[in-house]
Amino acid sequence: MRPLSRRAFLTTCSRAGLGVATLATLPRWARAGLGATAPHGVIVRNEWPEHWETEVGTLARNWITANPTFFVRSHLDAPSIDPGTWRLEVTGLVDHPLTLSLDQVRALPHVERVHTLECAGNGRGLLHPASTSGTQWERGAVGNARWGGVTLATLLERAGVAGGARHVWFEAADRAPLAKVPPFLRSIPIEKAKADTFLAWTMNGAPLPRLHGAPLRAIVPGWYGMASTKWVTRIRLEEQPSDNHFMVRGYRYNAPGEDPTKAEPVEAMRVKSLITYPLEGARIRPGAITVQGFAWAGLPGVQRVELSIDGGRSWQAAGFAGDSEPLAWRRWTVEVMLAHGARTLMARATDAAGATQPLEATLNAGGYGNNSIHQVNVDVAD
Amino acid sequence: MSPIRIGRPVLAALVLALLARAVAGIAAAAVPAPPRYLAGGEGREIAGRACLMCHAATLITQQAKDSTGWEKTLAQMEKWGAPVTPAEHPKLHAYLWQHYGARTAR
Repeated sequence: MRPLSRRAFLTTCSRAGLGVATLATLPRWARAGLGATAPHGVIVRNEWPEHWETEVGTLARNWITANPTFFVRSHLDAPSIDPGTWRLEVTGLVDHPLTLSLDQVRALPHVERVHTLECAGNGRGLLHPASTSGTQWERGAVGNARWGGVTLATLLERAGVAGGARHVWFEAADRAPLAKVPPFLRSIPIEKAKADTFLAWTMNGAPLPRLHGAPLRAIVPGWYGMASTKWVTRIRLEEQPSDNHFMVRGYRYNAPGEDPTKAEPVEAMRVKSLITYPLEGARIRPGAITVQGFAWAGLPGVQRVELSIDGGRSWQAAGFAGDSEPLAWRRWTVEVMLAHGARTLMARATDAAGATQPLEATLNAGGYGNNSIHQVNVDVAD
Repeated sequence: MSPIRIGRPVLAALVLALLARAVAGIAAAAVPAPPRYLAGGEGREIAGRACLMCHAATLITQQAKDSTGWEKTLAQMEKWGAPVTPAEHPKLHAYLWQHYGARTAR
Protein backbone atom coordinates (compact mmCIF):
# COMPACT_ATOMS: atom_id res chain seq x y z
CA MET A 1 0.00 0.00 0.00
CA ARG A 2 1.29 3.45 -0.79
CA PRO A 3 1.86 5.65 2.25
CA LEU A 4 -0.77 8.33 2.66
CA SER A 5 0.58 11.76 1.80
CA ARG A 6 -0.10 14.55 4.24
CA ARG A 7 -2.40 16.32 1.83
CA ALA A 8 -4.26 13.11 1.05
CA PHE A 9 -4.61 12.57 4.79
CA LEU A 10 -5.97 16.07 5.32
CA THR A 11 -8.36 15.69 2.41
CA THR A 12 -9.58 12.39 3.82
CA CYS A 13 -10.09 13.97 7.24
CA SER A 14 -11.99 16.84 5.71
CA ARG A 15 -14.19 14.55 3.59
CA ALA A 16 -14.89 12.41 6.62
CA GLY A 17 -16.15 15.51 8.39
CA LEU A 18 -13.25 15.61 10.78
CA GLY A 19 -12.22 19.13 11.64
CA VAL A 20 -8.78 20.61 11.45
CA ALA A 21 -8.45 19.88 15.15
CA THR A 22 -7.92 16.25 14.16
CA LEU A 23 -4.35 16.89 13.10
CA ALA A 24 -3.39 18.72 16.26
CA THR A 25 -4.87 16.00 18.45
CA LEU A 26 -3.11 13.18 16.62
CA PRO A 27 -0.69 11.14 18.70
CA ARG A 28 2.97 12.02 18.26
CA TRP A 29 3.78 8.92 16.25
CA ALA A 30 1.08 9.74 13.73
CA ARG A 31 2.17 13.33 13.31
CA ALA A 32 5.85 12.38 13.06
CA GLY A 33 4.92 9.94 10.29
CA LEU A 34 3.52 12.72 8.12
CA GLY A 35 6.95 13.82 6.91
CA ALA A 36 9.60 11.78 5.13
CA THR A 37 12.32 10.13 7.23
CA ALA A 38 15.65 11.89 7.10
CA PRO A 39 18.75 9.74 6.67
CA HIS A 40 21.90 9.83 8.80
CA GLY A 41 24.11 12.79 7.97
CA VAL A 42 21.18 15.18 7.61
CA ILE A 43 19.95 17.80 10.09
CA VAL A 44 16.16 18.19 10.10
CA ARG A 45 15.47 21.91 10.25
CA ASN A 46 11.79 21.38 9.58
CA GLU A 47 9.90 18.11 9.60
CA TRP A 48 7.26 19.09 7.02
CA PRO A 49 7.43 20.57 4.52
CA GLU A 50 10.89 19.01 4.54
CA HIS A 51 13.80 21.33 5.23
CA TRP A 52 16.85 19.09 5.47
CA GLU A 53 20.40 20.28 5.80
CA THR A 54 23.45 18.19 4.90
CA GLU A 55 26.00 17.96 7.69
CA VAL A 56 29.34 19.46 6.65
CA GLY A 57 31.05 16.18 7.59
CA THR A 58 28.75 14.40 5.14
CA LEU A 59 29.71 16.74 2.30
CA ALA A 60 33.33 15.88 3.17
CA ARG A 61 35.44 15.42 0.03
CA ASN A 62 32.70 14.19 -2.28
CA TRP A 63 32.50 16.48 -5.28
CA ILE A 64 29.10 14.94 -5.99
CA THR A 65 26.61 15.02 -3.11
CA ALA A 66 24.70 11.75 -2.81
CA ASN A 67 20.94 11.95 -3.43
CA PRO A 68 19.78 10.71 0.01
CA THR A 69 21.77 13.37 1.85
CA PHE A 70 21.34 16.24 -0.64
CA PHE A 71 19.72 19.19 1.14
CA VAL A 72 15.95 19.60 0.75
CA ARG A 73 13.98 22.82 0.88
CA SER A 74 10.29 22.77 -0.02
CA HIS A 75 7.92 25.66 0.49
CA LEU A 76 4.81 23.48 0.36
CA ASP A 77 4.17 19.76 0.78
CA ALA A 78 5.99 17.52 -1.68
CA PRO A 79 3.29 16.13 -3.97
CA SER A 80 3.17 12.50 -5.03
CA ILE A 81 2.70 12.63 -8.79
CA ASP A 82 1.65 9.71 -10.98
CA PRO A 83 4.21 9.85 -13.79
CA GLY A 84 1.73 8.06 -16.08
CA THR A 85 -0.86 10.85 -16.01
CA TRP A 86 1.54 13.76 -15.45
CA ARG A 87 1.80 16.21 -18.36
CA LEU A 88 4.04 19.15 -19.10
CA GLU A 89 2.40 22.08 -20.82
CA VAL A 90 4.28 24.79 -22.66
CA THR A 91 1.88 27.64 -23.06
CA GLY A 92 1.38 31.43 -23.02
CA LEU A 93 3.22 33.51 -25.61
CA VAL A 94 4.24 30.62 -27.84
CA ASP A 95 3.42 29.82 -31.48
CA HIS A 96 2.60 26.14 -30.85
CA PRO A 97 1.44 25.25 -27.33
CA LEU A 98 2.74 21.82 -26.29
CA THR A 99 1.40 19.12 -24.01
CA LEU A 100 3.98 16.40 -23.39
CA SER A 101 3.91 13.14 -21.46
CA LEU A 102 6.95 12.14 -19.44
CA ASP A 103 7.97 9.69 -22.15
CA GLN A 104 7.79 12.47 -24.73
CA VAL A 105 9.91 14.74 -22.53
CA ARG A 106 12.42 11.93 -22.04
CA ALA A 107 12.60 11.40 -25.82
CA LEU A 108 13.89 14.95 -26.34
CA PRO A 109 17.66 15.54 -26.73
CA HIS A 110 19.24 14.71 -23.39
CA VAL A 111 21.88 16.74 -21.56
CA GLU A 112 23.75 15.96 -18.33
CA ARG A 113 25.40 18.73 -16.37
CA VAL A 114 26.89 19.09 -12.92
CA HIS A 115 25.67 22.11 -11.01
CA THR A 116 25.82 23.34 -7.46
CA LEU A 117 22.56 24.33 -5.81
CA GLU A 118 22.55 26.45 -2.69
CA CYS A 119 19.51 27.59 -0.75
CA ALA A 120 19.35 31.39 -0.63
CA GLY A 121 18.83 31.13 3.14
CA ASN A 122 21.93 28.97 3.72
CA GLY A 123 23.78 30.52 6.65
CA ARG A 124 20.74 32.44 7.93
CA GLY A 125 21.06 30.74 11.30
CA LEU A 126 24.60 32.08 11.64
CA LEU A 127 23.50 35.71 11.37
CA HIS A 128 22.65 37.17 14.73
CA PRO A 129 19.77 39.60 14.49
CA ALA A 130 17.64 39.82 17.63
CA SER A 131 14.57 39.12 15.54
CA THR A 132 14.61 36.92 12.49
CA SER A 133 12.33 34.83 10.36
CA GLY A 134 12.75 31.68 8.31
CA THR A 135 14.58 28.40 8.59
CA GLN A 136 17.75 28.69 10.59
CA TRP A 137 20.11 26.98 8.16
CA GLU A 138 23.73 26.71 9.16
CA ARG A 139 26.16 25.75 6.36
CA GLY A 140 24.86 22.63 4.64
CA ALA A 141 21.94 23.86 2.53
CA VAL A 142 24.18 23.37 -0.48
CA GLY A 143 25.11 20.41 -2.67
CA ASN A 144 26.43 19.46 -6.06
CA ALA A 145 24.75 16.96 -8.38
CA ARG A 146 24.78 15.70 -11.94
CA TRP A 147 21.41 16.66 -13.37
CA GLY A 148 20.03 15.12 -16.56
CA GLY A 149 17.23 16.38 -18.74
CA VAL A 150 16.32 18.64 -21.62
CA THR A 151 17.35 22.23 -22.14
CA LEU A 152 14.65 24.83 -21.98
CA ALA A 153 16.07 26.22 -25.23
CA THR A 154 15.11 22.94 -26.96
CA LEU A 155 11.56 23.10 -25.64
CA LEU A 156 11.16 26.78 -26.47
CA GLU A 157 12.43 26.18 -29.97
CA ARG A 158 9.75 23.52 -30.50
CA ALA A 159 7.02 25.69 -29.05
CA GLY A 160 8.22 28.81 -30.87
CA VAL A 161 8.66 31.96 -28.80
CA ALA A 162 6.03 34.52 -29.80
CA GLY A 163 6.71 38.24 -29.93
CA GLY A 164 6.60 39.99 -26.57
CA ALA A 165 7.63 36.97 -24.50
CA ARG A 166 10.15 38.21 -21.95
CA HIS A 167 9.78 35.88 -18.96
CA VAL A 168 9.39 32.15 -18.39
CA TRP A 169 7.03 31.19 -15.56
CA PHE A 170 7.32 27.80 -13.90
CA GLU A 171 4.07 26.46 -12.52
CA ALA A 172 4.25 23.44 -10.25
CA ALA A 173 2.09 20.79 -8.60
CA ASP A 174 2.82 21.54 -4.94
CA ARG A 175 0.02 23.16 -2.95
CA ALA A 176 -0.57 24.04 0.69
CA PRO A 177 -3.47 22.41 2.57
CA LEU A 178 -5.12 25.85 2.81
CA ALA A 179 -6.44 27.09 -0.52
CA LYS A 180 -5.56 30.74 0.10
CA VAL A 181 -1.84 30.06 0.46
CA PRO A 182 -0.29 31.19 -2.84
CA PRO A 183 1.37 28.50 -4.93
CA PHE A 184 5.13 28.70 -5.19
CA LEU A 185 5.49 30.19 -8.64
CA ARG A 186 8.73 31.67 -9.84
CA SER A 187 9.79 33.09 -13.19
CA ILE A 188 13.12 33.79 -14.86
CA PRO A 189 14.03 36.17 -17.69
CA ILE A 190 13.90 34.54 -21.12
CA GLU A 191 17.61 35.24 -21.69
CA LYS A 192 18.50 33.05 -18.69
CA ALA A 193 15.99 30.42 -19.81
CA LYS A 194 17.60 30.17 -23.23
CA ALA A 195 21.19 30.43 -22.01
CA ASP A 196 21.57 27.39 -19.75
CA THR A 197 18.37 26.54 -17.88
CA PHE A 198 17.12 23.01 -18.24
CA LEU A 199 14.48 20.62 -16.96
CA ALA A 200 15.86 17.60 -15.13
CA TRP A 201 14.37 14.17 -14.58
CA THR A 202 17.54 12.48 -13.36
CA MET A 203 19.79 13.29 -10.42
CA ASN A 204 23.20 11.61 -10.24
CA GLY A 205 22.06 9.05 -12.77
CA ALA A 206 18.99 7.97 -10.79
CA PRO A 207 15.37 8.99 -11.42
CA LEU A 208 14.76 12.38 -9.80
CA PRO A 209 13.62 11.70 -6.20
CA ARG A 210 10.18 12.96 -5.10
CA LEU A 211 11.64 15.40 -2.56
CA HIS A 212 13.78 16.90 -5.32
CA GLY A 213 10.87 17.53 -7.66
CA ALA A 214 9.93 14.30 -9.46
CA PRO A 215 9.09 13.81 -12.17
CA LEU A 216 10.54 17.07 -13.52
CA ARG A 217 12.24 20.12 -12.05
CA ALA A 218 13.93 23.21 -13.36
CA ILE A 219 17.65 23.70 -12.89
CA VAL A 220 18.68 27.34 -13.15
CA PRO A 221 22.49 27.14 -13.01
CA GLY A 222 24.37 29.65 -10.90
CA TRP A 223 21.23 30.97 -9.22
CA TYR A 224 20.14 30.26 -5.69
CA GLY A 225 17.93 27.21 -5.31
CA MET A 226 14.55 28.97 -5.15
CA ALA A 227 14.76 29.57 -8.92
CA SER A 228 15.00 25.84 -9.66
CA THR A 229 11.29 25.07 -9.34
CA LYS A 230 10.40 21.47 -8.40
CA TRP A 231 7.42 19.39 -9.60
CA VAL A 232 7.04 21.52 -12.75
CA THR A 233 3.78 21.05 -14.65
CA ARG A 234 3.54 24.13 -16.86
CA ILE A 235 5.93 26.51 -18.54
CA ARG A 236 4.27 29.75 -19.41
CA LEU A 237 5.81 32.52 -21.47
CA GLU A 238 4.72 35.96 -20.42
CA GLU A 239 5.58 39.57 -21.04
CA GLN A 240 5.98 40.31 -17.32
CA PRO A 241 7.77 38.51 -14.49
CA SER A 242 5.60 36.49 -12.10
CA ASP A 243 3.77 38.60 -9.51
CA ASN A 244 3.68 35.68 -7.07
CA HIS A 245 4.26 36.37 -3.38
CA PHE A 246 7.56 34.46 -3.48
CA MET A 247 8.79 36.68 -6.32
CA VAL A 248 7.54 40.08 -5.21
CA ARG A 249 7.83 39.92 -1.42
CA GLY A 250 9.94 36.85 -0.78
CA TYR A 251 13.56 36.50 -1.89
CA ARG A 252 14.48 40.17 -1.85
CA TYR A 253 17.57 41.78 -0.36
CA ASN A 254 15.60 44.35 1.63
CA ALA A 255 17.16 45.81 4.75
CA PRO A 256 15.17 45.25 7.95
CA GLY A 257 12.12 47.52 7.85
CA GLU A 258 12.50 48.27 4.12
CA ASP A 259 9.78 47.47 1.57
CA PRO A 260 10.79 44.17 -0.08
CA THR A 261 8.90 44.95 -3.29
CA LYS A 262 11.39 47.75 -4.04
CA ALA A 263 14.52 45.80 -3.13
CA GLU A 264 16.94 43.88 -5.35
CA PRO A 265 15.73 40.33 -6.09
CA VAL A 266 17.78 37.34 -4.93
CA GLU A 267 19.15 35.67 -8.06
CA ALA A 268 22.79 34.59 -8.69
CA MET A 269 24.69 32.80 -5.94
CA ARG A 270 27.34 34.84 -4.17
CA VAL A 271 30.93 33.64 -4.08
CA LYS A 272 31.46 31.36 -1.10
CA SER A 273 33.71 28.68 0.32
CA LEU A 274 33.21 25.97 2.87
CA ILE A 275 35.81 24.16 4.95
CA THR A 276 34.85 20.49 5.14
CA TYR A 277 38.04 19.29 6.85
CA PRO A 278 38.88 19.70 9.63
CA LEU A 279 35.47 20.12 11.22
CA GLU A 280 34.53 22.69 13.83
CA GLY A 281 35.87 21.76 17.27
CA ALA A 282 38.23 19.08 15.96
CA ARG A 283 41.28 18.16 18.01
CA ILE A 284 44.29 17.71 15.74
CA ARG A 285 47.99 17.05 16.15
CA PRO A 286 50.48 19.89 15.59
CA GLY A 287 52.33 20.04 12.30
CA ALA A 288 51.18 19.86 8.73
CA ILE A 289 47.49 19.45 7.97
CA THR A 290 45.73 19.47 4.61
CA VAL A 291 42.71 21.71 4.94
CA GLN A 292 39.98 20.89 2.42
CA GLY A 293 36.71 22.24 1.22
CA PHE A 294 34.56 23.46 -1.64
CA ALA A 295 34.13 26.86 -3.26
CA TRP A 296 31.54 28.13 -5.66
CA ALA A 297 30.26 31.36 -7.15
CA GLY A 298 27.41 32.52 -9.29
CA LEU A 299 27.88 33.16 -12.96
CA PRO A 300 31.55 34.30 -13.04
CA GLY A 301 32.77 31.07 -11.43
CA VAL A 302 35.21 30.79 -8.56
CA GLN A 303 38.76 31.87 -9.31
CA ARG A 304 40.75 31.42 -6.11
CA VAL A 305 40.54 30.28 -2.52
CA GLU A 306 42.85 31.40 0.25
CA LEU A 307 43.29 30.23 3.80
CA SER A 308 44.35 32.19 6.85
CA ILE A 309 45.45 30.75 10.18
CA ASP A 310 46.31 34.09 11.77
CA GLY A 311 42.98 35.87 11.89
CA GLY A 312 43.18 37.22 8.36
CA ARG A 313 46.57 38.95 8.61
CA SER A 314 48.06 36.68 5.96
CA TRP A 315 46.49 34.40 3.37
CA GLN A 316 47.85 31.30 1.69
CA ALA A 317 46.57 30.22 -1.74
CA ALA A 318 44.73 26.90 -1.97
CA GLY A 319 44.92 24.65 -5.01
CA PHE A 320 41.94 23.23 -6.86
CA ALA A 321 41.61 19.48 -7.04
CA GLY A 322 39.50 17.03 -8.98
CA ASP A 323 36.72 17.70 -11.43
CA SER A 324 35.71 21.04 -12.84
CA GLU A 325 32.54 21.98 -14.67
CA PRO A 326 30.96 25.38 -15.29
CA LEU A 327 28.74 26.49 -12.40
CA ALA A 328 29.72 23.55 -10.24
CA TRP A 329 31.69 23.92 -7.05
CA ARG A 330 35.40 23.19 -6.95
CA ARG A 331 37.16 21.13 -4.37
CA TRP A 332 40.21 22.83 -2.91
CA THR A 333 43.03 21.82 -0.60
CA VAL A 334 45.85 23.65 1.10
CA GLU A 335 48.51 22.40 3.49
CA VAL A 336 49.21 24.56 6.51
CA MET A 337 51.41 24.17 9.57
CA LEU A 338 49.59 24.42 12.86
CA ALA A 339 51.29 24.99 16.19
CA HIS A 340 49.90 24.00 19.60
CA GLY A 341 46.90 25.88 20.93
CA ALA A 342 43.45 27.08 19.89
CA ARG A 343 43.55 27.94 16.18
CA THR A 344 41.04 29.41 13.78
CA LEU A 345 41.07 28.53 10.09
CA MET A 346 39.48 31.02 7.70
CA ALA A 347 38.69 30.27 4.03
CA ARG A 348 38.05 33.07 1.55
CA ALA A 349 36.98 32.61 -2.07
CA THR A 350 37.13 35.17 -4.88
CA ASP A 351 35.21 34.90 -8.16
CA ALA A 352 36.42 35.67 -11.68
CA ALA A 353 34.76 39.09 -11.53
CA GLY A 354 36.84 40.01 -8.49
CA ALA A 355 34.10 39.72 -5.87
CA THR A 356 35.41 38.27 -2.64
CA GLN A 357 33.79 36.96 0.52
CA PRO A 358 33.28 39.48 3.34
CA LEU A 359 34.26 38.75 6.93
CA GLU A 360 30.63 39.44 7.86
CA ALA A 361 27.94 39.64 5.18
CA THR A 362 25.61 42.64 5.30
CA LEU A 363 22.40 41.74 7.06
CA ASN A 364 19.13 41.78 5.13
CA ALA A 365 15.66 41.14 6.53
CA GLY A 366 15.32 37.71 4.95
CA GLY A 367 18.78 36.51 5.93
CA TYR A 368 19.60 35.73 2.30
CA GLY A 369 22.97 35.30 0.62
CA ASN A 370 25.10 34.96 3.75
CA ASN A 371 28.55 34.40 2.29
CA SER A 372 30.58 35.45 5.32
CA ILE A 373 34.03 33.87 5.50
CA HIS A 374 33.84 30.39 7.03
CA GLN A 375 35.82 30.11 10.25
CA VAL A 376 36.64 26.78 11.84
CA ASN A 377 38.02 26.57 15.36
CA VAL A 378 40.32 23.66 16.15
CA ASP A 379 42.30 22.56 19.15
CA VAL A 380 45.89 21.69 18.20
CA ALA A 381 47.39 19.36 20.78
CA ASP A 382 49.51 16.21 21.03
CA MET B 1 37.06 6.41 52.36
CA SER B 2 37.56 10.09 52.94
CA PRO B 3 35.78 12.43 50.59
CA ILE B 4 37.90 14.15 47.94
CA ARG B 5 38.62 17.66 49.07
CA ILE B 6 39.08 20.40 46.51
CA GLY B 7 40.74 23.60 47.68
CA ARG B 8 39.17 26.97 46.87
CA PRO B 9 41.81 28.11 44.36
CA VAL B 10 41.49 24.82 42.49
CA LEU B 11 37.72 25.08 42.51
CA ALA B 12 37.86 28.68 41.27
CA ALA B 13 40.25 27.68 38.48
CA LEU B 14 37.99 24.80 37.53
CA VAL B 15 34.91 27.03 37.41
CA LEU B 16 36.79 29.62 35.35
CA ALA B 17 38.03 26.95 32.94
CA LEU B 18 34.51 25.58 32.54
CA LEU B 19 33.12 29.09 32.01
CA ALA B 20 35.78 29.88 29.41
CA ARG B 21 34.98 26.62 27.66
CA ALA B 22 31.26 27.40 27.73
CA VAL B 23 31.81 30.90 26.32
CA ALA B 24 34.07 29.53 23.59
CA GLY B 25 31.44 26.90 22.92
CA ILE B 26 28.74 29.53 22.51
CA ALA B 27 30.87 31.54 20.11
CA ALA B 28 31.41 28.54 17.88
CA ALA B 29 28.13 26.75 18.59
CA ALA B 30 26.43 24.89 15.81
CA VAL B 31 22.86 25.88 15.13
CA PRO B 32 20.98 23.16 17.01
CA ALA B 33 18.23 21.15 15.37
CA PRO B 34 14.98 22.78 16.55
CA PRO B 35 12.74 21.17 19.20
CA ARG B 36 10.12 18.93 17.63
CA TYR B 37 7.24 19.94 19.88
CA LEU B 38 5.66 23.22 20.84
CA ALA B 39 6.36 24.54 24.32
CA GLY B 40 3.62 24.03 26.88
CA GLY B 41 1.55 26.96 28.09
CA GLU B 42 -1.51 29.03 27.40
CA GLY B 43 -2.06 29.40 23.67
CA ARG B 44 -0.35 26.12 22.75
CA GLU B 45 -3.64 24.52 21.80
CA ILE B 46 -4.41 27.35 19.34
CA ALA B 47 -0.94 27.07 17.79
CA GLY B 48 -1.26 23.30 17.55
CA ARG B 49 -4.56 23.61 15.74
CA ALA B 50 -4.01 26.66 13.56
CA CYS B 51 -0.33 26.43 12.61
CA LEU B 52 0.37 22.71 12.35
CA MET B 53 -2.14 22.26 9.54
CA CYS B 54 0.46 23.40 7.07
CA HIS B 55 3.83 22.92 8.74
CA ALA B 56 5.58 21.12 11.56
CA ALA B 57 6.24 22.65 14.98
CA THR B 58 9.94 22.84 14.08
CA LEU B 59 9.23 25.81 11.81
CA ILE B 60 8.02 27.71 14.88
CA THR B 61 10.39 26.43 17.54
CA GLN B 62 13.50 27.61 15.64
CA GLN B 63 12.22 31.17 15.29
CA ALA B 64 13.19 34.18 17.36
CA LYS B 65 11.01 37.20 16.65
CA ASP B 66 10.03 40.35 18.45
CA SER B 67 6.41 41.33 18.96
CA THR B 68 6.19 43.09 15.59
CA GLY B 69 7.79 40.12 13.85
CA TRP B 70 5.21 37.68 15.22
CA GLU B 71 2.40 40.13 14.46
CA LYS B 72 3.54 40.25 10.82
CA THR B 73 3.78 36.47 10.59
CA LEU B 74 0.35 35.99 12.17
CA ALA B 75 -1.25 38.56 9.88
CA GLN B 76 0.25 36.82 6.86
CA MET B 77 -0.87 33.36 7.98
CA GLU B 78 -4.39 34.55 8.81
CA LYS B 79 -4.61 36.23 5.42
CA TRP B 80 -3.70 32.85 3.94
CA GLY B 81 -6.49 31.14 5.84
CA ALA B 82 -5.00 29.98 9.15
CA PRO B 83 -8.08 29.34 11.33
CA VAL B 84 -7.53 31.88 14.10
CA THR B 85 -10.54 33.78 15.47
CA PRO B 86 -10.22 37.47 16.44
CA ALA B 87 -10.49 36.41 20.08
CA GLU B 88 -7.69 33.86 19.67
CA HIS B 89 -5.36 36.20 17.83
CA PRO B 90 -3.95 38.05 20.87
CA LYS B 91 -3.61 34.79 22.81
CA LEU B 92 -1.69 33.13 20.00
CA HIS B 93 0.48 36.20 19.53
CA ALA B 94 1.30 36.26 23.24
CA TYR B 95 2.13 32.56 23.22
CA LEU B 96 4.49 32.83 20.25
CA TRP B 97 6.17 35.96 21.55
CA GLN B 98 6.60 34.53 25.04
CA HIS B 99 8.10 31.24 23.93
CA TYR B 100 9.84 32.20 20.69
CA GLY B 101 10.66 35.84 21.30
CA ALA B 102 13.61 37.87 20.09
CA ARG B 103 17.06 36.86 21.22
CA THR B 104 18.50 39.16 23.86
CA ALA B 105 22.02 37.86 23.26
CA ARG B 106 23.41 35.09 21.19
